Amino acid sequence: MALINLATREIHCKIVYYGIGYCGKTTNLQYVYRQVPAHTKGELLSIATETERTLFFDFLPLDLGSIDGFRMRFHLYTVPGQVLYERTRIAVLNGADGIVFVVDSQADKLEENFQSIIELERHMRALGKDLGNYPFVIQWNKRDMPNVLPVPVLERYLNRRNVPSFEAIAVRGTGVFPTLRCTAKSIMSRL
Amino acid sequence: MEQLSNLIVSDAELAIIATLISRLMAETNASYIMLLDKSGQVILTQGHAGIHDATALGALLAGAFSSSRHVAELLGERDFKAIFQQGTQENIYTAMVEDQWLLVIVFDKITHIGLVKVLAKKATEELGRVLARVRADSTRLKKSIVNVQFRSSIEDTIDLLFRD
Repeated sequence: MALINLATREIHCKIVYYGIGYCGKTTNLQYVYRQVPAHTKGELLSIATETERTLFFDFLPLDLGSIDGFRMRFHLYTVPGQVLYERTRIAVLNGADGIVFVVDSQADKLEENFQSIIELERHMRALGKDLGNYPFVIQWNKRDMPNVLPVPVLERYLNRRNVPSFEAIAVRGTGVFPTLRCTAKSIMSRL
Repeated sequence: MEQLSNLIVSDAELAIIATLISRLMAETNASYIMLLDKSGQVILTQGHAGIHDATALGALLAGAFSSSRHVAELLGERDFKAIFQQGTQENIYTAMVEDQWLLVIVFDKITHIGLVKVLAKKATEELGRVLARVRADSTRLKKSIVNVQFRSSIEDTIDLLFRD
């Protein structure tokens, strides 16, 4: 839920990057962190295992500055993608104002991606939210890999709601900002 | 329950919260108190305790609390309404307010946890009443803040900041 603090004149929104393990959620945040101006970002906080797999979440606070007298802050989170962390993912989803679903476009990940989006829909229903009426964007990541499925195939299986989607190669930064722009604007349009 | 898309805290309500928190600080001798939204966003802080990054602290504490609620489920508990983290010098007591806010009290080893719990319970009840008013007012207040020009300005800023 977006928080509007009239006394401090701040608006806070939470964006969560969701998806299977190794799909590129953390990579998205790392790219954003490297690219945005220093005065707009806080520290990138990563609660991860020794092998750098996300254990709890990554967190990146962004300050867009003052707009019409209000300070606009976006807080970006990722969830841990591995199967055993399902409950942790629900904990991180709490209070999200927008979701980016990051898809590993490789053919052998299709089933996992499908299960992940079903899980997300279930969690959102449990939180009282309808994904069909919610700021939700899909990113087709890893488009540089040799065995990726064509985007129309991914769209057919994973984007039945026809939400905005973007191709990406997050490790190079391609598609990262278009995804984030769209998600942020979608949240703003519903404020 | 209808899910609000926004929660708007007015100046007046924030002043009431600030007074309440000040009183709680004095009564518990706490070094630092935070009021957070359950999403981790900071509504108000008071005190020092050498904390430099309240934003990150809020995110971490909310994540920990949210996680503990799921632990409760797995244990067959209805919920954990509060968690206590014990350090060598400082302790943290976090309590839920009406399933929306988190009251975080940082206190040293001289203050007894029992006192903190009793006073926190009283404070969460008062904060619950504030929250009820905030929820009721949010839809009405939103219309005075978020207009076409505001949305347009934000979109321009988003395009400027999040560009390749």
